[in-house]
Amino acid sequence: MKRLAWRGDPKRELWLMWYATLIFYNVFTVVFFVLTRTQPPAPPWYDADQATAWFAHRHQGLLVGFALMFALGGLSMTSTALITYSIRRMSVSRAFAYSYLILYAVSAVPGLLLICLAMTVGAMRPDRDPAIQHWLYDFGFLSFSGTMGVFLVGSLIWMAAILLDKNRVLPRWFGYLNLCNALTEVVVSPAWILDRGAFSWNGTIAWWINVAVFGMYTGVFITLLRNMIIREDFGTGPLPDLPPRKPRQRAAAEVAEVAS
Amino acid sequence: MTTTQTVTAPTEKTPRRVPGESGMWFFVLFESLVFTSYFGVYLYYRAQHEAAFLRAQSHLDLWLGVLGTIALLTSSWSVARCVQTARVGRYRLALRDAALTAGFGAVFLTLKSIEWARQIHMGNTFTSGDFFQYYFFFTAIHCVHLLIGFVALGVLAYQLASPRRRSQEIVETCATYWHTVDFLWVLIFALLYVAR
Repeated sequence: MKRLAWRGDPKRELWLMWYATLIFYNVFTVVFFVLTRTQPPAPPWYDADQATAWFAHRHQGLLVGFALMFALGGLSMTSTALITYSIRRMSVSRAFAYSYLILYAVSAVPGLLLICLAMTVGAMRPDRDPAIQHWLYDFGFLSFSGTMGVFLVGSLIWMAAILLDKNRVLPRWFGYLNLCNALTEVVVSPAWILDRGAFSWNGTIAWWINVAVFGMYTGVFITLLRNMIIREDFGTGPLPDLPPRKPRQRAAAEVAEVAS
Repeated sequence: MTTTQTVTAPTEKTPRRVPGESGMWFFVLFESLVFTSYFGVYLYYRAQHEAAFLRAQSHLDLWLGVLGTIALLTSSWSVARCVQTARVGRYRLALRDAALTAGFGAVFLTLKSIEWARQIHMGNTFTSGDFFQYYFFFTAIHCVHLLIGFVALGVLAYQLASPRRRSQEIVETCATYWHTVDFLWVLIFALLYVAR
């Protein structure tokens, strides 16, 4: 019976996307922080020999980790899809949703894929000329940390949509949290100029504080998207409130019943 | 013997609320925490290289900083007046106060541009040592907040301009944002210009 209820649940695609988002962020953390150890970023002041040694030291981890990321990196689009869905559910122009979708799809190239490519190339032939290894090292880290600004406009679009929305899809305080997140994206820009100190690509302000804010922001939006799916009634007006914990399953079964 | 009991009617408690949207106060709290962490980093590095920081700090013109602070504090006063006049329905006056706030904000921005130009002319740029990294970072990120403040003032004026809108909550929300920009500047001013 449970299986039948799941098959009839009109929210199953949304839940699929939500769980895929959860899986992606977990895989992302394991790949970048554990397998490849590319985060926290290595020091920007390394010379060619140190950069070459860095690649050699992480040879297997970089190859295996980024192979996993190339296989599962596409899952990053599931959160973009869900966020686009949330904007489409709002009482705002579709232009917001499409702009967000395009911006984040394009931003995934410098924000995620370039570091994977550069570091894999560097790890593949550790006996390559140190000058080239050094170039790949700089390119990889700068493309990842330095390009955070590409997410700035996307965050602002989501913020504007939330603040203009009349359907109460997401709370207004989260709109303002988007502004906080967007402002911390700006702070990474000095990493293009400085190679040491708090503003370099591994600096306390440009990386550590930013990651703390981004981590909180990500945790919050994943939770709010989950709440949005629970509240979704597939109408066009304001979303109902989150039901109390116990009757949630009953409410879900009712929605499934109505839909079937 | 009879005792007279005075029965007092239960006083109606008006729910306490913050001015404007509570979401904006969440922003104020979160942004204050982020800036506190920036200030913590600055103070840590300053304590490590105190002599170098003090030497670099002596290049700043304290009076330009004071003038900027006065301009922003005055803008906070005018935006508070704007909220009050809007509350009593004097919208034309409120619009005038909003324009005055934007004017004081523009004065601050002009002073900041003059100061930046002077520092760059003196050879003090973003790459001229630790102190000037923080100086340009704090003043620039604050100016980004100020520019967003102009957008907030635009929203505020848009609300006040037509009788069909005039949401007091939005007016107060925009004013709260403007006060936050002012509040952050007072902290930055104290750290960069005054603390020795």
